[in-house]
Amino acid sequence: MKAGYCSVIILFCLGLYTIVAYRNLIKIIIGINIMESSLILLLIIGGYRPQGAAPIITRPFEKVVDPLPQALALTSIVIGASITALMLFLVIKLNKEYGTLNIDEIRRLRG
Amino acid sequence: MRKGYIVVLILILATLLMINLVPVLSNFNNLNSLATSSQHYIEHGIEETGSINLVTSILLDYRGFDTLGETIVIFIVVSTITVLAVPNLGYRNDNICSPIVKQSISMIIPFLYLLGFYLIAYGHLSPGGGFTGGVLIAITFILLAVIFGVGYIKAEARRELISRSLIENLAALGFVISGMVGIAAGYNFLSSGQLGLSFGSPGNLVSGGLIPIFNLMIGIKIGAGMSVIFSHLIKEE
Repeated sequence: MKAGYCSVIILFCLGLYTIVAYRNLIKIIIGINIMESSLILLLIIGGYRPQGAAPIITRPFEKVVDPLPQALALTSIVIGASITALMLFLVIKLNKEYGTLNIDEIRRLRG
Repeated sequence: MRKGYIVVLILILATLLMINLVPVLSNFNNLNSLATSSQHYIEHGIEETGSINLVTSILLDYRGFDTLGETIVIFIVVSTITVLAVPNLGYRNDNICSPIVKQSISMIIPFLYLLGFYLIAYGHLSPGGGFTGGVLIAITFILLAVIFGVGYIKAEARRELISRSLIENLAALGFVISGMVGIAAGYNFLSSGQLGLSFGSPGNLVSGGLIPIFNLMIGIKIGAGMSVIFSHLIKEE
């Protein structure tokens, strides 16, 4: 389990680095998506129980993984997809307006 | 120079998080008992909601408000994109793909539709549900647009887009109205298990009260909404 949590933290820090270090809007969106995936992974791993069955009860069971984080992960996946669509659309608009994707140049043009 | 500072800071953050957070979180995994709400969902979920897929029963019965909020988020995104986008409807790319790709995609598309509606219809019995099936239906629209191009004449294209947006809005309205059934029967909004109308025994296709209807509405809404988003993005020149 510890390896899973470590990979969550590594993915989160990679996404944070991508957001902070790069100036390209597309790369920033990719970083936001990496961070979001790491948090979904955290939800799924947090609900896991060793030797637990899937939360679809078709036969008698001994132990079931926690179904609540999975429902929350589904929520966050859907919202993340729609937020990504909105961000990409705004990037298209910005690129059409300024002709660049670099956030420094976009800020400079506006004064 | 600047990137070097950032790398050092992120590394410090990562080590701090690993030292402090990982032992706490992995203790959490070895607990024998779940939280009381999860325990309740696992023990009483089937008899209270009639759906053997516990994730669906949480998503559409116990926490129906969450799902309503989700659909509202997608609704807002679709509305924003449709208001802000300037659709350039004369777009056409016919000869990008070879005939092999076109033939194989046109053979796959009916099965994708079937899989999408299967996932929606069996959402309370197996993995899947309205969101997954809706995304699959939207994928068929996206495949058609990418492979065969989106060359319509203007009026026809606009009519088609408007009809898809209308389908999305009607499905959202249908979701809210089928949630109102709970109020009409004297229970909470968006409740299906409390009504006591599980039409069949758990595990059958017709079971689970209002959950299949919610799944159908969400599936139609997600499919129409995602395809509207994609059409506006691809037609925005």
